[in-house]
Amino acid sequence: MTKNSLLKGLVGAALLFGATISAHAADTLAAVKAAGTLKVGTETAFAPFDFIDAGKHVGLNVDLFDEIGKELGVKIEWVTLPWDGVFPALEAGKFDVVAGPATITKKRMERYRFTPPLAEATIAILKKAGDKTISKPEDIAGKKIGVGKATAQLDQLKEFSETLPTKVDIREYPAFTESYADLAAGRIAGVANSLPNIAFVAKQREGTFEVVLPPFGKKSYFGFIGLKDADHAPLMDAIDAAMLKIKADGRMATLQKKWFGASFDTPDAVKDPAF
Amino acid sequence: MSIELFGLLVQASIYTVTISFVSIFIGFAIAILISGMLLTGRSLFVRPAQFFISFFRGVPLLVQLLLIYNLLPAVGLNVPSIVAAIIGLSLCTAAYQAENLRGGFASVPLGLVESAEMVGLTPRQIFRRIKVPIALRLTFPALVNEAILILKASSLVSVVGIVELTRMAQDLAGSTFLPLQIFASAGLIYLVINWVVALAGGLIESRLPGVAR
Repeated sequence: MTKNSLLKGLVGAALLFGATISAHAADTLAAVKAAGTLKVGTETAFAPFDFIDAGKHVGLNVDLFDEIGKELGVKIEWVTLPWDGVFPALEAGKFDVVAGPATITKKRMERYRFTPPLAEATIAILKKAGDKTISKPEDIAGKKIGVGKATAQLDQLKEFSETLPTKVDIREYPAFTESYADLAAGRIAGVANSLPNIAFVAKQREGTFEVVLPPFGKKSYFGFIGLKDADHAPLMDAIDAAMLKIKADGRMATLQKKWFGASFDTPDAVKDPAF
Repeated sequence: MSIELFGLLVQASIYTVTISFVSIFIGFAIAILISGMLLTGRSLFVRPAQFFISFFRGVPLLVQLLLIYNLLPAVGLNVPSIVAAIIGLSLCTAAYQAENLRGGFASVPLGLVESAEMVGLTPRQIFRRIKVPIALRLTFPALVNEAILILKASSLVSVVGIVELTRMAQDLAGSTFLPLQIFASAGLIYLVINWVVALAGGLIESRLPGVAR
């Protein structure tokens, strides 16, 4: 291996990186309809939105996208990746939309387009059942708290930590399920995640976990995510319209009740997120 | 842990085995090409072959997989997860196997080649009848070793969206909160697969010509 050929190789790789050729079909909606399938990217470690139950991919997202698929007249094909790989893959065109869902934040809105919200995303703490040292959110000061890597919940937890006398010892996990496992094993004192998620986990594992109420920080919402460019606009418009229709005729509330135990109001669009 | 969960792990291991073996065979074919380029001794062929080996041995497999998955669409090739996984594993193992083959050919005793020349064999006959059998014989244990390494490395392909054995174990551990039992079972399945590969490798090796028994 000479220096020269190494250099050439590196230059070649750099050129490939730079080449963000937009060779995709101009109108993604037309392409999706022609193919008859909408490809949806997600991770499967975010109960109750997406998770594995005895080896099967289930959750609110699966049910909701089934309805969206019916509205659009297409089948849904799932691509599941680790969460920190989902956004790069969306930009690489590996799928048309991300289920996630993701907390609607200012930073993300600059780069991506969100669907109408499908749930509240305000953050709360999950603790081990019977842990008397944590009775309100402020009690996590100085404690080990788990949270997902590259998530909006991490940002919200950091912001909350700044307001406490002793900072929170934040532990970042590749997926939330791993943080729940560590909480169950007693390696951390709590997990910070959005209220619908931890309420579901606490309900699934009654006697193991408890939710610390109230949620803290600013009110935020979950939405699905797509690309902002003109190619994707018709597709995202169609998904938005389908979701609003599903919300208007009560199917959304039914699904929320099925997966969260309660339905709740969400705005039709989030224009100015709190984060 | 229930039989049902164990069954899911076994199902996922079919992906592990399939992807690994397809990659090892494709990788071997590429390795023959690459080591052939090295053997020509012409810099026109040698330089690209050397670059190939340096790149795919020098960059972590995880990075290669993410590159292939996320970069190919930029040049208009949007391959499905399984194809990206097989391309990544094949190219990586090809680099190692090419080095093994090169080492095998370099280890063919010079005395044997000279003797063959003395009795009047042509260079082509020497290559086919002396060099190739001896080099293959010398590289076979390394090939079995590489197969085992790739079987284990295949756990990385979950980053491009394939639910193989390790990923299934993680998913199940996350949803059942039985990490110990599930990861122990996954470990056992890997052990059995690799034990079978090692055993089969040993059997084939003992049948190769020129083996001391």
